[in-house]
Amino acid sequence: MTQEIGGVDIGSLTTKVVLIDGKGEVLGRARARSGYAGREVAMRLTAGLLAELGLSREQVAAAVATGYGRITYEADREVSEITCQARGIAHLFGAARTIIDIGGQDSKVIRLLPGGKVADFAMNEKCAAGTGRFLEVMAGALEVPLEEMGRLALSARGAASISSVCTVFAESEVISHVSAGMPKPDVLAGVCDAVSARVAAMTSRTGVEPELVFTGGVARNQGVVAALSRQLGPLLVPQEPEITAALGAALIARGLSERGTGR
Amino acid sequence: MNEKRRYLPLKSTKELKRTMGRYYAFSKYHRFWGKPLGRKLAWVTSGAPVELLRAFKIHPVYPEQYGAICSTNKATAALCQAAEGAGYSQDLCSYARSHIGSVLRPDLAPMQGLPKPDLLVACNNICGTVLKWYEALARHFNVPLLVLDTPFLAGNLTEHAKAYVVEQLKGMVSSLEEITGRKLDERELGKQMGRSAEITTLWRDIRRLCRARPSPLNAPDLFIHMAPIVVLRGAPQGTAYYRKLKQEVSQRAAAGQGALEKEKVRLVWDNIAIWPRLFGFFRLFSERGACFVTDTYTGGWAMEISQGDPLESLAATYTEVFLNRSPEFRARQLIELIRDYNADGFVMHSNRSCKPYSLVQEVIRKRVTRETGVPGLMIEADMADPRAYAEEPVRNRVQAFLESLE
Repeated sequence: MTQEIGGVDIGSLTTKVVLIDGKGEVLGRARARSGYAGREVAMRLTAGLLAELGLSREQVAAAVATGYGRITYEADREVSEITCQARGIAHLFGAARTIIDIGGQDSKVIRLLPGGKVADFAMNEKCAAGTGRFLEVMAGALEVPLEEMGRLALSARGAASISSVCTVFAESEVISHVSAGMPKPDVLAGVCDAVSARVAAMTSRTGVEPELVFTGGVARNQGVVAALSRQLGPLLVPQEPEITAALGAALIARGLSERGTGR
Repeated sequence: MNEKRRYLPLKSTKELKRTMGRYYAFSKYHRFWGKPLGRKLAWVTSGAPVELLRAFKIHPVYPEQYGAICSTNKATAALCQAAEGAGYSQDLCSYARSHIGSVLRPDLAPMQGLPKPDLLVACNNICGTVLKWYEALARHFNVPLLVLDTPFLAGNLTEHAKAYVVEQLKGMVSSLEEITGRKLDERELGKQMGRSAEITTLWRDIRRLCRARPSPLNAPDLFIHMAPIVVLRGAPQGTAYYRKLKQEVSQRAAAGQGALEKEKVRLVWDNIAIWPRLFGFFRLFSERGACFVTDTYTGGWAMEISQGDPLESLAATYTEVFLNRSPEFRARQLIELIRDYNADGFVMHSNRSCKPYSLVQEVIRKRVTRETGVPGLMIEADMADPRAYAEEPVRNRVQAFLESLE
């Protein structure tokens, strides 16, 4: 009897695949940039992960897909990443009641009921300010590797004031700060503050109830973590914040396979 | 989960098309019959006191409804661009922009635009935009503009506010007497008020039938079949149409027939429809078994028209329009709809065009959820401009919301 279960999260920037066992333990994970063919990336990642674990495709009892590419991927079910994220975080942090998830082109605030059901959520509206894409553009403008951004921001003495309204306008603000001679770390701290301000404003729609968990790829950025906790209080950050939605998808798939509605 | 659900079409739709087709043909050829019969054509806002105009034998035409027609005919983007090219801001209401666009570029407009007006009547009970919109039209066509200013109601209608509106209605009567060359016939006005009361009562009854489970109608039905209550309110053809529709909806309700094959979730809609994606958008819900059993928008035409002094009744009816009232009133209205229609959730369309409708929604959303325990979803779009609609983020939110109701 096979018990391996898959969760696939085809996001706007990166695709994540997680395999768990029947107890919900993570057996393996993989991620890569989605590019223009997220479905193919997801299939390649799944195949690679299965090979690594010495498993065949038939041994996967159920799979759930989430993220922007969820509809294209052949899974037992496609579930929105809000529901998946809630499920994944509730599994990792039982006391979590509010989630801040900053991904590639979405940022969201999700309020949870005990047990991990979604009570309310808010998302950014047709605007990249306050998302991972915003940070990527700013890293590009400052010629700083994305991974270095947070560390550099933490070393800042001050913080530039950057409008959190529009990515394109914010980029020109960054450039004018740089040409005015402001140190890079201070500009970066301003960028992190701008992202955080944008997302913190969204929490006024849903309210914030502790424990507060910060997840999504941007949760790797120490600068944003620091800025957000200044505004909203203490934050819990999962060890692997990129894969929590894929983990949630796998956990939902486990439920399907237990109910016999998997493959 | 994603199986397609069969959507039950209304037989009355054929009759609706005939009724509306006749109204627009009648309007289009006004230039042939209007002059010989001495009947003027007015462009009016949706909240104008049409009963008074009808008493003066004026033929009303509704640019706002025309804005919806432009949108379902996929003409809005081009018309808005024409208006934007003439200097109208993209932040202006898309009904105003597309209508002004149709005046500037009739070649891009459905039916080559609306027939030219002899006069304009604007009432600010629905928004302040109509004042400037109609002023621009008055300059363009060089025709008289009559304005009715209804003070915003923070609480209930006060005697003072009512007297203020009645006074203006009296002024409007003198202007209309001058423009039409007719004297006000009070009996005729009384008759028009009676007809309006009859048609709004029918609409109210039809809406109430949706308290049944499953609901005999879904929001797109309400949005499509509201057309006559907007443009033919008080006209016998409108009343005749709603008698037929009421019969069909009553039969459905009695037979336990729902608009959706399998109604799993009952929702309430708040704000104007997303006309450019009317069916595609509501399909995101109906394919998951979620039916919009009622809404706040089409309910705006189910008003009660009192039978006292006609001008006082008009003043009260048109000042008490829900968009002219406090967030408390609007929240209460939504709470009552959720209770009366046994709804599991509500969806608010944050409509970029309609500021008075949309600005206070977040406050209302929180209050309604707090009082009813029922969750509310906010969708950002526009009633007419397709450029403000992003399918993928909308699908994402709708799916997450419906999953949270499972």
